[in-house]
Amino acid sequence: MKRMDYFLSTCRAASVLGGALMLAACAGQPEYYALSSEPGVPAGSMKVTSRDAAKPGTMTLDAQAPIAMHDEQTVRPANIDAQKMQARFAKALSAQPLPPTRFTLYFVEGSDTLTAESQKAITSILDEIKQRPAPDLVVVGHTDRVGSLSNNDRLAAVRANTIRQQLISRGIDAESIQATGRGERDPLVPTADEVAEPRNRRVEILVR
Amino acid sequence: MNQIKYILITTAVAMPGFCAVPVWAQTTPAAQPFVAQIKVSRGIVRIDRAGQRFPGPPGARIKVDDIIITEGNGSVGLMFADNSTLSMGPDSEVVLQRFNYDPTTYMGAFDAYVKQGTVSLQAGNLAQSGADNLRVTTPKSELKGNAKQLLISVGDAK
Repeated sequence: MKRMDYFLSTCRAASVLGGALMLAACAGQPEYYALSSEPGVPAGSMKVTSRDAAKPGTMTLDAQAPIAMHDEQTVRPANIDAQKMQARFAKALSAQPLPPTRFTLYFVEGSDTLTAESQKAITSILDEIKQRPAPDLVVVGHTDRVGSLSNNDRLAAVRANTIRQQLISRGIDAESIQATGRGERDPLVPTADEVAEPRNRRVEILVR
Repeated sequence: MNQIKYILITTAVAMPGFCAVPVWAQTTPAAQPFVAQIKVSRGIVRIDRAGQRFPGPPGARIKVDDIIITEGNGSVGLMFADNSTLSMGPDSEVVLQRFNYDPTTYMGAFDAYVKQGTVSLQAGNLAQSGADNLRVTTPKSELKGNAKQLLISVGDAK
């Protein structure tokens, strides 16, 4: 309600000032909603509901009906050329941040000591950080399934923090590195409980 | 986890010209006030925070309740703590109403109000943990679900 009030008061202000753009928006310029997806990736779905009590309507955006609009009537599927939609959103899409680059480092069993090979790989992480104008890092610790859930939560957090400290000691801004643990709940290689699996004893580092 | 430090922001009523004073403190991720960072910024981009206006260059951090605004020559791309991204074309305005995220369980919620302009939203880890974690409102509609990528246009396209 507060948000709608805000919008209506903006409309009134636009009327007073004669702001053509806001008037157009308030007077019923259609809104457009579209799901976009890459081949092989599920697009998900969104339920779209009109917020205008005088123009009730609802529909689901999904792979079958990926584009909708809200015009003077209500929410309804829209049949709009995909290229026109791309053109409408070209500048917004071109401002999308680079996807994160993922690195994985491995540990000696039960410890927060990196394997010798992983210790060397830290250099390539530092190189990736230098490529980005406003880098920040997410360090996520993982364990295999040897030991209790709670101990593994703790070990995963310790591993993540150890790597965070190493990166700080190599000159990366502490404020830009977030470290968390996921324990044993997100294995790279699924195993039965109490199975030692070196590939699951890892931290994943996202350079974003 | 307990070694992580987060900035706590306290409002300093007695300091005209500043709305916030950063204080280092140990706390939980839920209290982390900065939830996103500007990665791409072109033209004029600004952040309205509690009535104060800030520029939005690459590296600027975003909090819940911030209003992100691009001028006619502007566009901006944000990345959130869960790897969700939100990018905006020119003459756009978005209010970040809610962002809760637990990096251990991926549970949380993302609410944004698109007041004006063109917006592309790419869902990150949040969308994996619940069917309705993503919520976007516009002047005319409410959208709720688990879209991987959502495009929204409000008003004239620029």
